[in-house]
Amino acid sequence: MKNYNQQEIVISGVGVTSAIGQGKSAFSAALLEGQHKFNVMQRPGRQAKLSSTEEPVAPSSTNDEQTTAFLGAEIESLLIPESIPKSLLRTASLSAQVALTSLDEAWNEAKLNEVPPDRIGLIVGGSNFQQRELSQTHQTYHNRTEFLRPTYAMSYMDSDLCGLCTEIFGIRGFAFTLGGASASGQVSVVQAVEAVKSGQVDVCIAIGALMDLSYWECQGFRTLGAMGSDRFANEPALAARPFDQDRDGFIFGESCGVVVIESIDSATKRDINPYARLAGTAMGMDGNRNPNPSFEGEVNAIKKALEQAQLSPGEIDYINPHGTGSTIGDETELKAIRHCELNHAYLNATKSIIGHGLSAAGTVEIIATLMQMKAGKLHPTRNLDNPIEETYNWVKQPGTKHNIKNAINLSMGFGGVNTAVCLQNI
Amino acid sequence: MNKEDIFEIITNHAKEVIPKLQDHPFKYDDALKDLGANSIDRSEIVMMTLESLSLNIPLIVIARAENIGELADIIHEKL
Repeated sequence: MKNYNQQEIVISGVGVTSAIGQGKSAFSAALLEGQHKFNVMQRPGRQAKLSSTEEPVAPSSTNDEQTTAFLGAEIESLLIPESIPKSLLRTASLSAQVALTSLDEAWNEAKLNEVPPDRIGLIVGGSNFQQRELSQTHQTYHNRTEFLRPTYAMSYMDSDLCGLCTEIFGIRGFAFTLGGASASGQVSVVQAVEAVKSGQVDVCIAIGALMDLSYWECQGFRTLGAMGSDRFANEPALAARPFDQDRDGFIFGESCGVVVIESIDSATKRDINPYARLAGTAMGMDGNRNPNPSFEGEVNAIKKALEQAQLSPGEIDYINPHGTGSTIGDETELKAIRHCELNHAYLNATKSIIGHGLSAAGTVEIIATLMQMKAGKLHPTRNLDNPIEETYNWVKQPGTKHNIKNAINLSMGFGGVNTAVCLQNI
Repeated sequence: MNKEDIFEIITNHAKEVIPKLQDHPFKYDDALKDLGANSIDRSEIVMMTLESLSLNIPLIVIARAENIGELADIIHEKL
């Protein structure tokens, strides 16, 4: 086992599925054009009325109680690769199906069939990410539990994704799920880097799992004040507005991102031309169970990542922020960016186009950065009509041409999680 | 409902659980295990069948069946 320096760690393959497109080509094209898919969510289990019995009632019900409109961006259709056995798909959750599809893309790009299976590890970022499936099962079987499918005992666990991915792709290193709230995706990348640096595996795959929210989580997020209100129910296109003065919370978006992480030596052996160097990865806690952000926590994560990447703030030319549209979160993040002397760098908000993927956000936004790096373009920030502050280098409509040299991606999660990842163009 | 009806329900669920059996010509003496159904697949097929018939019986009774024909017989007796 060889140890590697952080500077030798690269991303050699990616896979992505989101509401704006399946696969990196479609995703990148829609992202750079700022094409969104926000609407009132239609997936069963997300649209419901609360009846007097406190049981969610299907929206087709004819009673006249008010429908709660949750806005978001949902994946309209998923084209699952033929190589994924149909017998396993029957009992695979939406999160699992999307993960397998995205992993297939990343796996092929990184030519992982050429890597010994016991030298490949897998980290699935996210916890409790199959809530809608569980809620649907409970609703279906609540009055006939004796007929509950036996496979529920396997599929209710998030780690079922590890089982499915390792069986289908033949991964024999390690596999586990990892939770870090909305920073889960980036935490999985941070840990995957450590696994490769230490020589535990040669290749580590980090998946930001699709967070499959049910009505219950949507309602919870809304009553907490984190999710945007139904103020824009009649104009869903206007609802996701990170960093705009008129924002009132995040707007959900289904997504899943997969990144393949390894040393440059390992990638070169398979003639892979890596996307970027993972020059700095940092994580720090606020010591705070609550959802509120911490200026100090964010500053510490940014500084640690820059230090590890051996980059000065002036060398960062692009920031992919957490930028959810949260009232306090966006303000705090901008203050941290300024304090770290990064406010010269281009700044856009990927969530204004794809929505907030929660557990998936960290990895999908790393992929968004890589796609922009590759294209030599920066995507627009939608609905940024009146920024909280003008004195940042905002990328507004219609986007701009720019060759990213050094980027920093930020994620934060409930419970005081802060992460930062520096990506360096090779 | 006769044994043949129950046999058809079982085989339809078997096809759903194991898609490669879609065109298999099912016979009474076919054993699900021999057709590639692992223990979890078999319990899924049984549970789906019982749900289709709204029949709540202990699974231990069904475990005696050696093939699909016997399974259909046991279920038929309990209807």
